[in-house]
Amino acid sequence: MIPQTTGNETNVKLPFSFFFFSLIALILSQAILLISGSDFANGHFRTPAIWSFAHLFILGWALMTAMGSMYQLVPVAFLTPIWSEKFGFIQFGVLAIGVSSFAGFLYWDPQNALIPGIITLTGILMFLFQMFMTLKKQAKPNILTAFVSSGLICLLLTIILGISLILSWKTGMMAGHYSEIFQSHLLLGVGGWFTLLIFGFSYKMVPMFSLSHGYSMNLSKYVLISYLAGIILTLISFFTNHPSLTKIGFLLLFIGFGLFAWHISTIISKRIKKKLDIPFMFALSAIGFGLLIHGLLFVSLFTEYSSNLIGPLLFLYFMLWIVLSILGYLYKIVPFLWWTHKYSKHVGKQNVPALKDLMNEKLALKLLSILIISCFIIYLGIILQVLMLAIFGLIILAITIISTAISILLVILK
Amino acid sequence: MEMIEKIIDELKSVYDPELNINVVDLGLIYDIKQISDRVFEINMTLTTPGCPLHDSITGGVKHCVEQMDEVDQAFVNVVWHPAWSPDKMTEEGKRQLR
Repeated sequence: MIPQTTGNETNVKLPFSFFFFSLIALILSQAILLISGSDFANGHFRTPAIWSFAHLFILGWALMTAMGSMYQLVPVAFLTPIWSEKFGFIQFGVLAIGVSSFAGFLYWDPQNALIPGIITLTGILMFLFQMFMTLKKQAKPNILTAFVSSGLICLLLTIILGISLILSWKTGMMAGHYSEIFQSHLLLGVGGWFTLLIFGFSYKMVPMFSLSHGYSMNLSKYVLISYLAGIILTLISFFTNHPSLTKIGFLLLFIGFGLFAWHISTIISKRIKKKLDIPFMFALSAIGFGLLIHGLLFVSLFTEYSSNLIGPLLFLYFMLWIVLSILGYLYKIVPFLWWTHKYSKHVGKQNVPALKDLMNEKLALKLLSILIISCFIIYLGIILQVLMLAIFGLIILAITIISTAISILLVILK
Repeated sequence: MEMIEKIIDELKSVYDPELNINVVDLGLIYDIKQISDRVFEINMTLTTPGCPLHDSITGGVKHCVEQMDEVDQAFVNVVWHPAWSPDKMTEEGKRQLR
């Protein structure tokens, strides 16, 4: 028997700081969206308010949540403590200041958003350094390390491409390749960073939340190879302008996602916990949506309307795969952190609530269902070019997301 | 032996907060040894290595046993071999997960 007396858990205050900030950023981003609805109504997407919304939503919420999840899950999945928690708190502070001021300047004074942008960039680079140092310490790297490391490399490339976009925009440098750089920025950010990260951590969280045992992990390496090959081929196709290569790239992405979906379904079939928690089921359903959208993206390339279809499908991909996955897991992770903070020390001494008691599952069911419906309303509004339908869906979506964020934050009252 | 059974009974009040099943019915407690008159050693496991509830559950087991009048100190060792598997659960534990 090999004894181990302590775990590798991170101080819960670190990931909780990220989650708390990210949920506030999520609420504010949706509030900005609601206030600036007229920009959308008039078809003006490149306005200071929309820039502010987009950066608060993507950097303030999605990225900060992903970082909080990594601080929480890297020690769990890789049995390796975070390299430096102190550095983690400093990184949080830098990024929180950076993102808040960046979003603020974009809203009120976009011409002077450069310095807040640099602070934000510093916070992201500090995070990458922290993770590099942590993963370096891992005694036995495994397939999850490969997923997360690939995701981190994609994040770095996404940032480099993002900076290139700003330079191109400001100076005219690489102006001839602006469109290719923008497409690559999107692909690496959404398909590379977020998707690979969710893939990797799903392999830890799905068996943990469903209590699955006796499954094989063999398929996971084919998921990674196929998805990464899809990303690389698609990137090459952007710059070489080879539509047939784009099709092969999209096909590989679809196959990689399909293998992942199949693999997760086999893991779920080996579960011992028969009745799964509702938010977790939404996170699982996000995999189904992701697969469907990957299939539609691939098929759309064979139609003459592909340039009109891909944008709305990417919106669905981001909302129904990435956002739904993250929200589903947040309903599990945030109560866990709060429970650990408030009740962990009382275990064995007095009765403590179960994690499920900290969350209103029925409300989560309603909110996440409305979120899915509103995304389809927006999608239809865009496809059918009925602007009012899209705006209507957008308002419902924003209100639902605000309500979801508040319902998750309310855990701190328990 | 009577004391070991008493400890097992007491440990039924320590719950895995995610599954809401006590550590005994979940099959996490491998064995309990009496080291000296009022000192005990508990070898236990968790359902998965790197379980985020590691410290909460092991700390709970330690507190629970040390709260007993007959115990001065309890040492808790987490072991991964043999690995936990569903067949280690009691019938009651399995019933609660159905």
